[in-house]
Amino acid sequence: MSYNERRGGYRRRHRDDYDDRRREAFETPEDKLKTSIIKLGEVDPMEELPRLQKQIQEFAPVNVALLSEVTEQPYKIPYYAALVQLLHEPPTDAEEAGARPSLGRLVLEDFWKGFQTYLDKLEWRETRLCIQFFAHLTVAEIVSPDSMVSLLQAFTAVLDGFNVSHKRAKRAVLCAAEGLMISGAHLKLYSSRSVSEIINAVQIFSETTTIPKWLVRPTSSLHTDAVTIENGDEMIDTILQTLQTLNDTGFAQVAESFPQPYLAFAKPDDLTPFNLPLVLVPPETDIELDGVANNTEEAAQIKKDEWPEYYLRLFDDEVSPNPNTPAGYAVRSALLDIISVFDVNRKECARLLLEYPKWNLPGAFKPKPGAPADVEPALDKYWQLESTILELILGMLLILPESPQRSIYYISLITELCKLSPSTVGPAVGKSIRKLYAALSEGLDVEAARRFSEWFSIHMSNFGFQWVWKEWVPDLALAMQHPKRAFMRRAVEFEIRLSYYDRILKTLPEPMQSPETLTIAEKAPGPYFEYEDAANPYHEAAQGVLNLFRGRAKAEDVIGQLQSLRTTLEASEERPVNVDATANSIVIQSLLHIGSRSFSHLLNAIERYLPLLRQVADSSNLLSAAEAKAGVLTSVGVFWQHNPHMVGIVFDKLMQYQIVDPNDVVGWTFTHGVGLGLGSSASLNTFEWGLVRGALDKANGRVLIARRKITALRKEEDDTRARAKARANESMEVDADAKPEDDAAVDNPALTTTLKALDSLTSEQKSGLSRTLEGFVACITQNPYARTVITEQAWHNRANWDDVEWTAWETWGWYRQFCRAYSPYLREFSQALYTVSFSKLETSTDPTDELLKKIWSAATDST
Amino acid sequence: MAHVVTPLDQPSNYKDSQSRVDRQRQNELLSKSTTLYIGNLSFYTTEEQIYELFSKCANPEDGGGIKRIIMGLDRNTRTPCGFCFVEYYTHAEALASMKYVSGTKLDERIIRCDLDSGYKEGRQFGRGKSGGQVRDEHRQDYDPGRGGWGAQAQRLEAERRREVEERYADVQDGPGAVAGGGGDWREVEGSGHDGRKRGRSPDDEGDNTRTLNQGHRTRLDEDMEAERM
Repeated sequence: MSYNERRGGYRRRHRDDYDDRRREAFETPEDKLKTSIIKLGEVDPMEELPRLQKQIQEFAPVNVALLSEVTEQPYKIPYYAALVQLLHEPPTDAEEAGARPSLGRLVLEDFWKGFQTYLDKLEWRETRLCIQFFAHLTVAEIVSPDSMVSLLQAFTAVLDGFNVSHKRAKRAVLCAAEGLMISGAHLKLYSSRSVSEIINAVQIFSETTTIPKWLVRPTSSLHTDAVTIENGDEMIDTILQTLQTLNDTGFAQVAESFPQPYLAFAKPDDLTPFNLPLVLVPPETDIELDGVANNTEEAAQIKKDEWPEYYLRLFDDEVSPNPNTPAGYAVRSALLDIISVFDVNRKECARLLLEYPKWNLPGAFKPKPGAPADVEPALDKYWQLESTILELILGMLLILPESPQRSIYYISLITELCKLSPSTVGPAVGKSIRKLYAALSEGLDVEAARRFSEWFSIHMSNFGFQWVWKEWVPDLALAMQHPKRAFMRRAVEFEIRLSYYDRILKTLPEPMQSPETLTIAEKAPGPYFEYEDAANPYHEAAQGVLNLFRGRAKAEDVIGQLQSLRTTLEASEERPVNVDATANSIVIQSLLHIGSRSFSHLLNAIERYLPLLRQVADSSNLLSAAEAKAGVLTSVGVFWQHNPHMVGIVFDKLMQYQIVDPNDVVGWTFTHGVGLGLGSSASLNTFEWGLVRGALDKANGRVLIARRKITALRKEEDDTRARAKARANESMEVDADAKPEDDAAVDNPALTTTLKALDSLTSEQKSGLSRTLEGFVACITQNPYARTVITEQAWHNRANWDDVEWTAWETWGWYRQFCRAYSPYLREFSQALYTVSFSKLETSTDPTDELLKKIWSAATDST
Repeated sequence: MAHVVTPLDQPSNYKDSQSRVDRQRQNELLSKSTTLYIGNLSFYTTEEQIYELFSKCANPEDGGGIKRIIMGLDRNTRTPCGFCFVEYYTHAEALASMKYVSGTKLDERIIRCDLDSGYKEGRQFGRGKSGGQVRDEHRQDYDPGRGGWGAQAQRLEAERRREVEERYADVQDGPGAVAGGGGDWREVEGSGHDGRKRGRSPDDEGDNTRTLNQGHRTRLDEDMEAERM
């Protein structure tokens, strides 16, 4: 601590709060060298390289660790390759040069060990980045081309493995393909046949993959399985096309796609190239075998990321690089790596993205405004950096069924980019929004559209809600359920959630402010207490209950009141159809009224009256337990009918406090929920899907927690057993008759309970999934429009679609999302679920039934 | 990663000055923390707004979600005073908020998040002399979101203010005043089980006595306020 910083006595007491962060950092020469290596190229890499070489050689360290530089600053890989090349030169003043291996060779040998560790742990990204590094070194003739070919072949060999998962195959392809792209020219000189073989392996994988690509296309048209889309690319297709282009031209375009700084320096004389040792890509053991070992838990981990990756293109090839070309692929891959490596610090990530052109070849991107345009465009035109970055981030955000990282990361990253360079990123954001908005009427997938509105609202919340809504006013003439109008409604609703009604109302142009256009609600989304109105026949009764709550009456007293209310209603002139249902509704709505002031008030109200809620949600004379629970949910739906956000929040907490089960929420949404959103019957809209998703995630999360608990308990048990055994072994010397197995036989009550819990949670999970599937099948088979919207002709006629067609189309969309997003869970029970929902459609050749079955089997066939 | 850039999900140097735990224990708590302190909120920001933003980091499929939100209140007026605690079910969700939400805007103010060692009784109240946060005690600038507002916004803000002032009028302090948010899923047992759950009622005299003591202590310690901003 620096003592002159101390001011007054106040701080003195808090000395503990101020760590030694102000202490002057002393840098050892090793530290200094390390910093120079990390910071290589911050100003001008080509100038810095020889200087760094000299600095290292003067200091003459035993070794230089480059591993983390390569994996953590992937945009510098070619420059670190150049550094290794330079370090192969003997120091100018070295006398015993040649007597021992050069420093460069030592660095490379050490690097290889690190690579091997990444590979053993199957850290795919790190492995791939190391391969890029080796590929550059092959071009620099530091690494021998034959050993490089063997390395890449080790990765294509993965594709021949038995039952290889798509995830594993995809990653292996990326490793082999990117290595080949960079070093192809040299490898071809060595063995043209091997190069073709590697490309063939990628092609065969791409053609024979059983994963149905059409299910994850970002734009969905129900009538076709086409896997190519106009405005996007699938990653493996992109790789294949790039490789073929390169191979056809003898890899001539590599020089205009990847920086090759090492070629500017003289090659070290009579160098024996480094032979990369042979490797074997280890099998994926940990995940797959875990479930088999403990057969009670099925698969302990849910296998995800089994889908092809489609990236949406927003701009023309003039504006952003076409990833199907070598130069375009190189840019995309580099930017993708920056985005995924730097998620720990989105601000730095944004800075690095905007600085990216300096690591790429000169002339690829349009120079910054004001900067001297001294470089001619490399490929007869400049790309726009900001549009390129935006297109890629949004491409990742919209990957289906889910984005690689949480959507909020991409959203916040765009926010940081805008903060760093508002004048250049702002317009790119605007253009992107318009392109995505236009895609809404071209079949943009419903889940992608939902994420788009999520991004839109959070982005606007960070930038003063400044959007030019006026330009969309003409679209108010479209059908109310048209995706564009649905988007506007949703975007406004999400904005209000983050802000408040009057604030958002102010940002809309006059035509949109009018409640008739159904863009924004007539008033702020407040609660609706049905019994508030003095004219309501049950007003008095409700006031009585409300007063008990207000007076903080005990739960038992309110339960008593509930009983007497049922009796009074029974005898009253206004006797309702179902006395219990009405009495329950009065109690629940009154409780929600008490809890309507804030989320905390809601929690307090629920927690204080749990016994009452359990009573209300249980069976009574006139209601089954299922009816009673559905009644609770209906009361919530009525009370918060103007505020869908609150419906979701209350449902979540009712599930959390176990008043209702996830299953009840799913069932309710498909039967009673209809009509609360703006959807019509036999359909599911975004809001309703949100409720279903919340319930499914809750059920799945509970199973996961139980499984984790079991794993932890088992481990604990194993440890205890091991200790007991050790102790027994010690005492064995004294008492040879002791049987250590006795300990194992002792029951672990905690484990037994948890296993039992897992059983019931798993069946709850299964029934939730089953009810969702049944719900969708019922919706789609009963909705007459669900069958009309799936033909090609209907799709081309969509300009004339009305609300009924659009809601049917949306329901199909959520069905697809359900199948693909929950496929790992669905697969666990696929046979049973199929029997329940599809047995009666088994032989049907009706196109609707066929499509239902096709989507289902595409998502659940795990072959 | 740490040697190229500083990760954003690290706890700050802040330590609750009234906390009795030492630095090491504190770090241990933070390494598992599911709670965030959120600062620089507008006085008018509601829990639902906070819920909406922070639910973007929630991961229910992983057994997570927002457990509870505890609004920071002015000790005297029982009105929001510009901070809150958000508690998740998992540590990963708290870290995600640090990485992706801290430093972004909510209600048009840049909010900051900090990993917190966990909510303790009494921490929902401001520790400044006049009941709010200390930072607002000595603040010189004009900040419409935190107590003073411009004439043009006044009409609109006054309306929101009325709602806000009423909202927490019924808040009590003392143990059990703040809901737990619901525990993990467990097997529902027979009805006899309910007896264990402690209902609250006006008969709980003990609470009120405790409350008085608590309030007294808070006033004595108010100079010890740990200012976050």
